[in-house]
Amino acid sequence: MKQGYTQVKRMTPAMRIIHWVNAICMIGAVVTGLYIGHPYYQTFMADGAVDKYVMAWNRYGHFIIAIIFDVTSVIIAYLYFFSRFEKPYKKLVPNTQNITEFKAVLVNLLTLNRKKEFDSSHADSFNTVYFTVFHLLLIWMLLTGLQMYVHGLGSGLSSIGAWWPWMLHLTTDWTIWICGGTLMDVRISHHFTMWLILCWVVFHIYYQVWRTIFWKEADIAIVIGGSKFVKDDSLKSE
Amino acid sequence: MSDKVEAVKKLFTSQSSRVETNKGDTYYQELFDKCEARLNEMRSHQPANKLDFTDLLEDNGIDRREFMKWASATTAMLMLPPMFTPLVADAAVLMNRAPVIWLELQDCAGNSEALLRADGPKIDEIVLDIISLEFHETLQAASGHQAEKQLEEAMEHFKGKYLLFVEGAIPMAMDGQYGTIGAKGETFHDHLVRCAENAAAVVAVGSCATFGGIPAAAPNPTGAVGVMDVVKNKPLINIPACPANPANMVGVILHYVLTGQVPELDSLLRPKFAFGYRIHDNCERRAHFDAGEYVEEWGDVGAQNNFCLYKMGCKGPMTFNNCSIVRYNEGVNWPIGVGRGCIGCSEPDFWDKYAYERPMADAKIKAPTGGVEKTVDEFGLGMLTAAGIGIAIHAAASTVAGKRENSGESHE
Repeated sequence: MKQGYTQVKRMTPAMRIIHWVNAICMIGAVVTGLYIGHPYYQTFMADGAVDKYVMAWNRYGHFIIAIIFDVTSVIIAYLYFFSRFEKPYKKLVPNTQNITEFKAVLVNLLTLNRKKEFDSSHADSFNTVYFTVFHLLLIWMLLTGLQMYVHGLGSGLSSIGAWWPWMLHLTTDWTIWICGGTLMDVRISHHFTMWLILCWVVFHIYYQVWRTIFWKEADIAIVIGGSKFVKDDSLKSE
Repeated sequence: MSDKVEAVKKLFTSQSSRVETNKGDTYYQELFDKCEARLNEMRSHQPANKLDFTDLLEDNGIDRREFMKWASATTAMLMLPPMFTPLVADAAVLMNRAPVIWLELQDCAGNSEALLRADGPKIDEIVLDIISLEFHETLQAASGHQAEKQLEEAMEHFKGKYLLFVEGAIPMAMDGQYGTIGAKGETFHDHLVRCAENAAAVVAVGSCATFGGIPAAAPNPTGAVGVMDVVKNKPLINIPACPANPANMVGVILHYVLTGQVPELDSLLRPKFAFGYRIHDNCERRAHFDAGEYVEEWGDVGAQNNFCLYKMGCKGPMTFNNCSIVRYNEGVNWPIGVGRGCIGCSEPDFWDKYAYERPMADAKIKAPTGGVEKTVDEFGLGMLTAAGIGIAIHAAASTVAGKRENSGESHE
C-alpha cells in the first residue's frame, strides 16, 4: 500500500454487484426502450413474420430488465434502512450535520476542489442524495412502465392469475392522474424520464472520475474493489 | 330508487378498466330473472311511438334468422351468457318504450350521422330508428318556439324516465355565450343542465361530449368541457370515439331497457363492455407489430402488405375501444383495416395527445409551460447536451485550476 494512505472499505460485494447489474440493465433498457418507442432498425422483408419477432424480443428484453430492476430496487430499498454496512437513510435526514456536509461537498465541486472541508473517507451526504434521486427516477420508471404494461392485460387476467393486473391497477393507476390524465401522458413521462436518467448517468460518471483525479484518493476503485485510499493526515484533521 | 343509488355508487367506485367476464351462474340467473320481470313490465307500457320493430325488419328485408344472429352477437358484446339472447331480442323489440331526448351542442353532428348511418340500414341502425326519439335538434322538423314546446312536453311527460343523449362539448368561456340555442337564446350549459335535471341517466355520445374532444383541443378558445364536468349527481355514461360507434349506443340503450341500470363503467365512465379492451390486442395487424414489420411511409411495400402502422403513428397500443372487434358500419371496416393508424379518438385529449400521426417519440409536444413545441427526444437531447456542456466547462476549469495548484504554493 502507498505510504501515508489508509485503505477504507466503501462498498460491500453485494452493493458492487447491484451497481453493475443496474448499469448493464440501464444500457439494455435504453437500447430496447428506444426501439419500442420508435423502431429504429428494420427487419428483413424477405423473412416470414414467424421468423422475426423483433419487436416482441425487444419488449421481452425490456420487461426482463424491468423485473431485474424491480428486484434490485427492493433490495436497495431494504439496504437503505437495514444495511449492516452503512445505512444510507442516515445521510438523507435533513439535520444540521448532513446539510453542512451536503453544502461542503457542493462547494468542493463548485470551487474546483479549492476548498475541501469535509471527511471524504466515508459516504457523503451529497452523493447519497444524488444516488437517491436516481433510485426515485428508477421507481418512477417502474411505476409508469407497469402502468403501460397493464394496458395489455385488459381482460383482467394474466398467466399468473387475476391478482397481478388487479395489483398493477391498484398500485399504478394514480400515475395517469399525476402525468396529466391520459395514457399517452404516462408514455411521454416514461420516455422523458429516460432522458433525465441519461443526464443523471453522465454527471455521475463524470463526478466519480473527477473525484478520482482531483482528490487523489482512488474513488473510482470503490465500485470495483470496494475500497478507496485516504491520506492518513486528512483522517486525523477531521 | 335504491337501484339507482347502487348504480351511482358503482359508477364512482369503479377504479379501472378491469372487466369481469364471468360472474358466476348464480349472478346470471338472478340477473336473468330480474331482466325478464322488467321486460314483462315494459311490455305492458304503451309504446311511445307507433313503429313496430318486426315490421321494420321485414320492410328492410331482414329475416328472423339474421335478427337472431345479431341478437346473439349483441349478447356477447354486452358480456352476457348465451341464455340472454332471447331477452336481448325482446329488448330490441321493446326499444320503442325507451324515450330518448337528444341534445346537440358544440360539435359537427358526426354522432347524429353515425346514429342515422344508412348505407342500407342494418339492424343496429333499425334499432336506433325505433327508439322513441322525443327530441332531436338536428333531425326534427319543428323549430323555434315549437321545438322548445316539444322539448318541454317530452321532459314533462317522461319525467325521470328518459335517457338524455348529449352530443358535443359545452363552451364555458365568456359565460357560455359561445353557444346558444333555441328561440330564447339559452346557453348550451343552461340547456344541458335543464334537460339533465329530470333524466333517468345521461349518455354523453362522442369525444366532444365525453372529454371535450376537438373543441377542447389546444388552445381551446371556447373553454369547452365534456358533459361529466357539468352534470353531477346523475348516472352518466360516456360513449367516446369520433364518431361513437352506433353498436355501442345500441348496447347502452339495450342494457338500460334490459336491466334498468347503466352498464358497468370504467374510471372514465365508459361502459366496460365496449371500452374494456385495447385496440392493439385485437388488431388484425398485431402480428406485424410483434414481428417488427412496419409501414415506413404511405404507399410503400409494407403498406401494400398490410404491415403494422405503429411508425405511422397508430395509437392502438394506448387506446381502449372495441372497434378492432365490432368495427364500424355493421362490421364493414375500421380505420386500421383501411390502412391508416388509430388516432386514439376514444381517449381524453385525443386531438392534442394522440392524433399527431407519428409515434409519440417523434411528436412535437407542448411543454407544460405552453409555447415551446419539441419532441421528447429533441428536448431530452437538449438536456443531455446542456449537461455535457456544463461538464465540459467544469472539467476544463478544473484542469486549469488543478495545474495552477500543482505549480503554485497553495498546496496544503
